[in-house]
Amino acid sequence: MSRFNIIFLLTFIGLLIWITLFQPSAVGRIQTGAMVFLRPFIKASNELDGSINALGSESLSPAQLREKLSAVGQDRDRLKLEVIQLDELLAENNQLRQALQYREKSPLALVATRVISRKPSHWYNTVVIDKGSSAGVVVDSPVIIPMGDEAGLVGKISEVIGPDSAVVLLLTDEMCLVSAKLQNSQEQGILNGQRGAISTLPNLKLRYLSKEAVAIPGQKVISSGTGELFPANLILGEVVSLSLGIIDAEAVVKPSVNFDDLVDVFVILPADRAKDQPAAAPPARFAPPSPSEPTAPPAPPVP
Amino acid sequence: MKFFALLAGMILLSFIIQEFLPVFDWAYGSRLMLVHAVFLAAAVAVPFPAMLGLALVTGLLWDARYHVPIYPDEAAFGMLTQSEIPFGFTILLFGLTGALIQGVRPLFRRGRWELPVFMIGLCTGLSLLIEYLVISFQRGGLEISVELWWKLLMTALFSSLISPFLLLLLSRVADRMRYRIRTEGLKRRHTYDGDAL
Repeated sequence: MSRFNIIFLLTFIGLLIWITLFQPSAVGRIQTGAMVFLRPFIKASNELDGSINALGSESLSPAQLREKLSAVGQDRDRLKLEVIQLDELLAENNQLRQALQYREKSPLALVATRVISRKPSHWYNTVVIDKGSSAGVVVDSPVIIPMGDEAGLVGKISEVIGPDSAVVLLLTDEMCLVSAKLQNSQEQGILNGQRGAISTLPNLKLRYLSKEAVAIPGQKVISSGTGELFPANLILGEVVSLSLGIIDAEAVVKPSVNFDDLVDVFVILPADRAKDQPAAAPPARFAPPSPSEPTAPPAPPVP
Repeated sequence: MKFFALLAGMILLSFIIQEFLPVFDWAYGSRLMLVHAVFLAAAVAVPFPAMLGLALVTGLLWDARYHVPIYPDEAAFGMLTQSEIPFGFTILLFGLTGALIQGVRPLFRRGRWELPVFMIGLCTGLSLLIEYLVISFQRGGLEISVELWWKLLMTALFSSLISPFLLLLLSRVADRMRYRIRTEGLKRRHTYDGDAL
């Protein structure tokens, strides 16, 4: 190797070491810059994805297509398509209305956000949302989705990238640990997902149940609220099977949230940020964290 | 110099296109790693110092966009201050795989692309495998499943499939810009393929 190459190699190693020693704040600034640059493309990609999905769903209506092809003319086809579009708008309207009602009812300070990028990471199950530090979102804030009168846990904020973006670590990831319990039971354990983001909807593992645990397939698994991060009674999934070990038991849990279809989600703000939010109305069906329980998570370690 | 600027532009463009590339659930969550493929194709065409420069820029941009700061359990107790995959780690991976692929530069110059195409896939898979092993090391348990191998294999395959087009593009651009792909080892021997280097 020539002297010239050795000098370049040493410079490269020096720069590499320097970069790996960056403070989290410096990393945050770099990532914010990258996100500002790429944000229009991320949004465009998300919109394109949505359009393609919408096209797919329309073409997957064989009955409608058969009707169109059978006898009716072109005008009638157009009208049918308009009706389909109106139905979709109505469904979306209902969904948003439901979300709004949920937000008004919830005692927690919630921020409505939209998913703008899916699975950006190769090894982690994550999504990017369109709210960040300007909306009061902080690291480890729980992210939920309304499911009727209840709420399902989507994951937690793993990183806030600037004022308008944050990364959500999904419940299906191995590193998203939730203290959970079986509904109508005292059995508690730790729920987590799968390593490697190999599939979007992997089964979750509920570990550290007692060896006498009894779980019926279909039984709901909810957050216990005993941890410091997540409120109690958030829906996590349903038991698929239970295996008893020598010292403990482990249940396989199917997640309740469809992580493929995430569009509008809510971030629960920590108590100190909640003061800035509009006053909350009557309690929802899930309980907020108790005042003694710190809602704000511990800050990420700073070197 | 123009050629290097063009390569940097291509890498930047690949970051934008990468945003539009889907994840294939049917292929165990694998995807086309276009940025990796473009970098590795460029690494075949440039000398060692330029490859290191490209590795630095590409790795930094990749981490700026895709780095997820997940902290291992020990971090909660103040024992560790770095995330599972440290910021900047991708630069090292790009540097390593770039150095590896530099070994097939003479073949690329001769127009023999079989091995470079294979190596682009291999190096993409290798860098992902190293990332996975680092994550596993941090979590204290190695979980190797069939699905994981499929994910790595499919990702490597996608990179290999796109690489002939990238290599063709690079060689055409190099011709048009009158850029000659030189290799130092061959320069010393003065006997390679009868060409005057």
